[in-house]
Amino acid sequence: MKINEKDLVSGLFLILIAAIGLWLNLDHNMGTARRMGPGYMPWMVFWLQIVLGGLAVLIGIFGDGEKLLRWTGNEIGAFVGGIAVGFAVFYILKPMPGFFGQTYNAVGTAMMIGFLVLCIAPGWRLFGLINASMCLFGLLLEKMGFFAALVGIIVMSCLAEREHLKKPIGILGTTIFLLIMCWFVFIKELDIRVNLWPQL
Amino acid sequence: MELLLTNLAHGFGVALSFQNLSFALLGALIGTAIGVLPGIGPVATISLLLPITFGLPATTAIIMLAGIFYGAQYGGSTTAILLNLPGEVSSVVTTLEGYKMARNGRAGAALATAAIGSFFAGTVGTILVAASGPLLTQVALSFGPADYFSLMLLGLIIASVLAQGSVIKAIGMVVFGVALGLVGTDVQTGQQRFTFGIPELSDGIGFVPVAMGMFGIAEIILNLERPESRSVLTNKVGSLWLTKEEFRRATPAVLRGTVVGSFLGILPGGGAALAAFGSYMMERKMSKGRDQFGSGAIEGVAGPEAANNAAAQTSFIPLLTLGIPSNAVMALMVGALIIQGIQPGPRMVEAQPDLFWGLIASMWVGNLMLLVINLPLIGMWVKLLQVPYKYLYPAILVFCSIGVYSLNNNVFDVYMTVLFSVFGYFCNKVKLEAAPLLIGFVLGPMMEEHLRRAMLLSRGDPMVFLERPISATMLGIGAVALLAMALPALRKGKDKALAE
Repeated sequence: MKINEKDLVSGLFLILIAAIGLWLNLDHNMGTARRMGPGYMPWMVFWLQIVLGGLAVLIGIFGDGEKLLRWTGNEIGAFVGGIAVGFAVFYILKPMPGFFGQTYNAVGTAMMIGFLVLCIAPGWRLFGLINASMCLFGLLLEKMGFFAALVGIIVMSCLAEREHLKKPIGILGTTIFLLIMCWFVFIKELDIRVNLWPQL
Repeated sequence: MELLLTNLAHGFGVALSFQNLSFALLGALIGTAIGVLPGIGPVATISLLLPITFGLPATTAIIMLAGIFYGAQYGGSTTAILLNLPGEVSSVVTTLEGYKMARNGRAGAALATAAIGSFFAGTVGTILVAASGPLLTQVALSFGPADYFSLMLLGLIIASVLAQGSVIKAIGMVVFGVALGLVGTDVQTGQQRFTFGIPELSDGIGFVPVAMGMFGIAEIILNLERPESRSVLTNKVGSLWLTKEEFRRATPAVLRGTVVGSFLGILPGGGAALAAFGSYMMERKMSKGRDQFGSGAIEGVAGPEAANNAAAQTSFIPLLTLGIPSNAVMALMVGALIIQGIQPGPRMVEAQPDLFWGLIASMWVGNLMLLVINLPLIGMWVKLLQVPYKYLYPAILVFCSIGVYSLNNNVFDVYMTVLFSVFGYFCNKVKLEAAPLLIGFVLGPMMEEHLRRAMLLSRGDPMVFLERPISATMLGIGAVALLAMALPALRKGKDKALAE
């Protein structure tokens, strides 16, 4: 039997999400077909999704043997570690007073640290750094201002590309160029409402 | 006919206003500039630039977005011809003959053919949209909620049938998209659904974070993972002028491509891609130069380029008349309209005549601009497409981040985008298509609305979907399309047609 792992995983994913959705949907009133409550459409949609997920699993089991990329032990470790550290950071920060306890700062910090932990495995480096850099942007933007947030996201995302590490001057050039361009487009032309400098 | 002319005149009045004209030009320029950058297709380009149109009046914003779309598509053809790198599925076919022509030193001729063919097809497509729009709108106004629901269902089915890869998985993604669209406050009862008590989710998941995360950020990561393999253009672009012989061969191909494209563009799903491929197959069988295919036949550039541009125009028809997006780009347009507070649909012609006719007129203006700005500026585009990706991706990332933040001035949207980037990356790894999800996501709330109304009117009897002739026809076509995909022979044909 040749299992198409991509189909199998896709199907299981669709089923998992739909099952969670159906469980959450228990809170909503179904209503009747004539007067549909808030739970009616989700109920139908998620059941349909389970059926389709199931079909995808079946097709995957009798598939053409397409394989997923194999994760090394290192990558599995980083993946589990990243998620665990992320959640730990979130629960530690949430009750804290001040900046990190505020609405989404705890979420952003947790996500960023989680993504950075992921980078320990070379296979996850790109994925982790790019996503982490966006989280860093979110964290810095309101408190430290537009320019600091831009420097943060640009420098961190540049680290993802090995060629930049060999020639760090490229990072500097990219940063300066993008700072000027973003200032011109978003601040001067579009005039978005955001702090430019740190708010201390 | 007279009414059509009056309306078009009105449209040109709107489109030729200084503001709209300059934004159309700006859109076409930026669209081309970003479209020629390798690894960024029209969907990514539009979602990247969506936020910069928010501050504009609705009509101007849509005109600019349309300009971006044409530009991005044209940019895709340029990279296809010069670098053998299709920016999107619909220009894959162009690489076959176009790149060969470029290697024979006829890159200029290939680019000129693409531009002129596109312009001609665009003109015909625009006329078609203008003529059929109001007619179809009349038809659509007689649609009841049940008909609407079935129509949307049909749209979703065809979009997933024509998606790349497994049909089951594509439908699964459509359904998941619909589910994502249901997050937020229930319109009728005001109950919060799947919001986890997060206030930002009470208006639903933002359209922009989904589109940007899945098409923008996830794409960056995937592009970076692939080692850069661009062959730097060594030979010159050459003369842009076609020889008499080339002109004589290209003309019929353009005509045929336009017909094929106009027709296929209306179909939901891979309209432009299907059109380009259909035209290529046709040219290979019918054109006089068919023995030269594979070694740089001009028909193989002229036909598909005309076809995909005609399709790009006519794919606006279902959007403007029925409010139903036929592909991911049109889903973005719906998103943009909704953000502007306009519900796309048959009432748009009467409620927003400026927008409707202005957009149609600006389609033509946009195509003309592409012709005028692109050929003379080809040297600049060639320079742009040599920018290494390592300098590009930070710029894309930064634009996405600022853009998504400026939606609501809330960092929540930034984190949401990160989540969808992770999801988009996962989807790519397990071969789940992102485009069907986006279409489902846009249509989900509308479908629920129409379903509820239909069931209320029929007093809870689901047979209403089969009793109404329009609805029954739609469902019938949908069922046939699904059954057809169960036939292995047809499925193979589709896979071949959409294979990259």
